[in-house]
Amino acid sequence: MSDQIWFPLFITLWIAAISSLLVLCSGVFIAYIFARRDFRGKELAELFVTLPLILPPTVIGYLLVILVGKNGFLGQLVYNVLGTGILFTWQAAVIAAYTVSLPLMVRTAQAAIEIVDKELEYAAYILGRTELETALLITLPLAKRGILAGLVLSFARAVGEFGATLMLAGNIPGKTNTMSISIYSAFQAGNNELANILVLVLIFISLLSIALTGKIASRGKFEV
Amino acid sequence: MGVKVDIRKCYHEAESSGKRETRKAFLLDVSFEIENELVVLFGPSGSGKTTLFKCISGITEPDGGKITVDGKVYYNKDKKINLPIQKRNLGYVFQSYTLFPHMNVRKNIECGLKSWEKESREERVMEMLSLLHIEELETRYPSQLSGGQKQRVAMARALAPGPELLLLDEPFSALDKEIRTELTEKIKNLQNKIGIPVLFITHNLEEAFLLADRILVLHGGKVQQFGTPDEIFYHPENRHVAELIGLSNIFDDAWVEGYDEASRSAVLKSGDLRIRVNPLNFKPGDKVSWGIHPENMTLLLPGSGSEDKDENTYSAYVSSIINKGPKKKITLKLARHNKVLAAELPAQFVDTLKLSTGDLCLVKMEMSKVVAF
Repeated sequence: MSDQIWFPLFITLWIAAISSLLVLCSGVFIAYIFARRDFRGKELAELFVTLPLILPPTVIGYLLVILVGKNGFLGQLVYNVLGTGILFTWQAAVIAAYTVSLPLMVRTAQAAIEIVDKELEYAAYILGRTELETALLITLPLAKRGILAGLVLSFARAVGEFGATLMLAGNIPGKTNTMSISIYSAFQAGNNELANILVLVLIFISLLSIALTGKIASRGKFEV
Repeated sequence: MGVKVDIRKCYHEAESSGKRETRKAFLLDVSFEIENELVVLFGPSGSGKTTLFKCISGITEPDGGKITVDGKVYYNKDKKINLPIQKRNLGYVFQSYTLFPHMNVRKNIECGLKSWEKESREERVMEMLSLLHIEELETRYPSQLSGGQKQRVAMARALAPGPELLLLDEPFSALDKEIRTELTEKIKNLQNKIGIPVLFITHNLEEAFLLADRILVLHGGKVQQFGTPDEIFYHPENRHVAELIGLSNIFDDAWVEGYDEASRSAVLKSGDLRIRVNPLNFKPGDKVSWGIHPENMTLLLPGSGSEDKDENTYSAYVSSIINKGPKKKITLKLARHNKVLAAELPAQFVDTLKLSTGDLCLVKMEMSKVVAF
């Protein structure tokens, strides 16, 4: 019984943590590029990153299976290097979680970076700072609240991920049975007691996320 | 060595006419050289002052020309040189100060000293703090500073890396008048102390004349005149400059009737009025404009000796007197000529004359005070 609760909880938090870490690194970078650079096809790129936010989870799952499956471009590459497939592993669940939560991070962080006064960046350039130094020293610290909010949202989204995960990682007990998936299978098996406990735990995690976001949002703002 | 600027750049300015706001294109086309002096860039908003600063600092790229500072080429269109902002060694104080809000004063100043050794960096910060007399602000955050303090911190930060040129974009525009006057005097001293060229943007006339070694008058993207405050004040080269320096009695209907080599003066005929002026280099027959500052006129009571026959003295009727506190603005209609002049004289002086609307008086415009261009 306890394994039926503890393992899903552990694997869910593990997948969400790894996914959020990846989302943080790549999402902030993408958000900075979108906010501060102009290039051809930028609108298309923005659309592409945002798409998972509105696509049905099954569609995302299906597309990801095509991409990372045995015959997919990425799947083949990994198979050739590691000699093993990605589908139906926790890593596949991370890919699913990452894909659906990235747009939340990019959107929130981009909005936060866009409102940082460009003159502050110019002031840093004039003081001899490179663009990278300026981003790390000035822009991102000033967009910190937006980035943290994006991180919490992405984490929450990753914790609750269901559709794409099911298609990509399946429901393998002791391997890929995350909370959401365990709730579904417990419900199907008529194990209401287990479902209730898992539901309560998930609600608790979600409430925690909302509280955390609210706390970040209400923290004192810098006066310019 | 100094600073040589010779650039062209198209820029856009928002223009509101009625409800609609349109963006109008202007061409900034300027060429000038400055030495170790304080040069005030003076002009109305939209004249291209900030665009010029952005070109010099490298924030925007000019469309063509050259910029050289201390012998170092910052920009040269023909040679395809456009030095990145970071490589240009200049200080820039923005209108909004642009202090980094999440760093205290010390960190703000240190930001420009990245390649300095730790010890010399600390020394430099202290040196800057004491140069601007703000030692006590070292650990404060920008949100804890007053406008004047922010301004000084921004100056300290801009000067810390030892720039070859200092650009100040309306540094006092957000400050109270008292602090303004105090800081204006400080900047003048500071420029003497640091001994680098300083370019200072303002559209405050008083500030321009108080500070400048030379004034560069900009209007519509073009240099209208570049000279010492006295040159600008007494010999404006065109109507734009004349209006910008507050000359309000301007008449465009004059021509040079005669030139007297001995007294180095010229007689202008403006309508049916004759007036003697100190010209720069006029030839008889030239079409010219003339004017006089409202403060530079003298009023006399009739019968006080200087009658109408005296040079540059005309009888006039007072058509209105407006009280402006320490000064009074008097509108005068010349009795024998079809001209209206506005004088602005100390209230005390006007009161002694006991003038009131409808009175006849004499207006005297000293030759040296009449401006012709």
